[in-house]
Amino acid sequence: MLIYTINRILHMIPVLFVLTVVVFMFIQLLPGDVIDTLIGDEEAEDPATRELLMKEYGLDKPIYVQYGVWIGKVLQGDFGKSLVTRRPVALELFESIPATVYLAVVGISISMLIAIPLGAIAAVKRNSPTDYTAQIVSLIGISIPEFWFAIMCVLFFSLYLGWLPSSGYMSPFEDLGQSLKYLILPAAAVGFRQAAYTTRLTRSSMLDEMNKEYVDTARSLGFSEKKVIYKYTLRNAMIPTITISGLQLANLLGGTVVLETIFAWPGIGQAIYLAIIDRDYPLIQAGILVLGVIVVIVNLLVDLLYRVLNPRVALN
Amino acid sequence: MATIRSRSGLGDEIIDIKPPTFLERVHHARTIAIDALEELYKSKTAFAGAIMLVSLVIILICAPIISEYNPIKPDYDSFLQEPSAEHIMGTDRFGRDIFSRVLWGGRRLVSIAISAVIFGLLLGIPVGILSGYYGGYIDSIAMRVVDGLLAFPGILLYLLLVTLAREWHLEGFWNDLILVFALGFAFSPEAARLARGAVLSEKHKEYVEASLNTGEANLYIAFRQIGPNCMSPLIVESTVRLGYAILIIAALSFLGLGTPPPTPDWGSDLSAARDYMETNPYVAIFPGLAICYTVLAFNLFGDGLRDILDPRVVER
Repeated sequence: MLIYTINRILHMIPVLFVLTVVVFMFIQLLPGDVIDTLIGDEEAEDPATRELLMKEYGLDKPIYVQYGVWIGKVLQGDFGKSLVTRRPVALELFESIPATVYLAVVGISISMLIAIPLGAIAAVKRNSPTDYTAQIVSLIGISIPEFWFAIMCVLFFSLYLGWLPSSGYMSPFEDLGQSLKYLILPAAAVGFRQAAYTTRLTRSSMLDEMNKEYVDTARSLGFSEKKVIYKYTLRNAMIPTITISGLQLANLLGGTVVLETIFAWPGIGQAIYLAIIDRDYPLIQAGILVLGVIVVIVNLLVDLLYRVLNPRVALN
Repeated sequence: MATIRSRSGLGDEIIDIKPPTFLERVHHARTIAIDALEELYKSKTAFAGAIMLVSLVIILICAPIISEYNPIKPDYDSFLQEPSAEHIMGTDRFGRDIFSRVLWGGRRLVSIAISAVIFGLLLGIPVGILSGYYGGYIDSIAMRVVDGLLAFPGILLYLLLVTLAREWHLEGFWNDLILVFALGFAFSPEAARLARGAVLSEKHKEYVEASLNTGEANLYIAFRQIGPNCMSPLIVESTVRLGYAILIIAALSFLGLGTPPPTPDWGSDLSAARDYMETNPYVAIFPGLAICYTVLAFNLFGDGLRDILDPRVVER
């Protein structure tokens, strides 16, 4: 396990390298002088300051040196200053992370609560009306664009029925009840789509498990069908489901850009979106880099979790 | 005309190898088409998806004939009308017929998605085939790059590329081209990985060894002999990916990062409709339904194809 962990961490290095190169190249590929993009126009006007800044960022040196300088700064948590608020980008980003994590974790939990029982039932009652309904609903679920689903929810629950606020955010530590009210619609929009994926996944991994020999053995030993399914089969079928849900959690942290924008949810996705609108390049660059790194780390943790949940993998 | 002289125990016999005549080619193509249709008919999902897709394509191709209204020209006499015999989906805030806008938007969206997926395949397949066939260092390097690109969560890579396009003031056709590039580029690592996996399981088979022994060139074996046998997972993935590409394009234009108005576009139409949906929900419903229909068609077809092409799944 230790060797595997170390191996897996070493594997992260090239991935992170590609990630940083792409994000670094983004600034280089923008039109105009890099110094203007990074610092903003006003500060870069004075030639002396300009010279100094050029030196600081290594812009008079070849591009790989510039990359090195940039990476060095990033490793120290220095992503530059936001062009809009003039505050350090790192600060802006870390303030918006809790809201995104809150939304993503609740969304994923909702989806797993719906999807795992639904997928399992669909697999057990294969080719029954229940199964077909579950399959059709989940297929529709992955085909509906999440932003349209979100708009329709707002239309119905906020504008038509007036039960829930159409957008906004409140920290759960401030007022839990009010915070949950704001949370319901975005979390449902996140959860619905994820639930559709997870149902399909649980169903197919459940079917895989049910065809295995140990299930027949358990039956022949006279265990009740309930015990066979819920104690043995479902447990094994959950392994891929949990793994994929972990990967989706990582993806969600970056993929909620659209939903956060619709619901004015002050998370990292909305921060990146606003940065794009405001042409706040250091914030875009840092936001995408941070999300990418989070995804890589979550992927690593999920891989390790998979090994813990399923020790048989280690034998192969 | 080539002749082969084979020496069997029965004496010399001469086999003529002629290039097939035109009629034979037609006959061959017809047999393949009939076989394919029969296979397709076996899977209900694939068949339903195929019907939905064919009707979609026909409607989109015939859009100039079907739609009686100009999708771009405003008509202030008839704005925000409810669906009627004249305007079957109603009109939007500028009095434009929503049905025509949905049709023309669909033409654009589907052609962008198809070009993007083809571009991604053209980029990814050669990388995957070569790295799978040759293995070694080339393989390790290529796969690390692929991992790095896949680490970009969700929509972020597109956001980066679309932002770049906006900063370079690319408009109209060039903007569409950037979308094609971005979506294709993001699909290529997935395509490369699938192609590589298929090549790995294919390259130790006898026919490859036979070709190696008769002295065929490596590139010929890799692309002309192994390549065609690796297509089925790629076909399935591309179909599903088409649906995903449409979701992404719609999401980007929903965020206002796609083609600027007045070009008809399902995503930006939805986003514009949000301001009017309280009084007139039809504006927000129809473009969304169009996205759902299209994505559902691709997903159904892809799901069914997977059942047909992957015999392991059919047995379930």
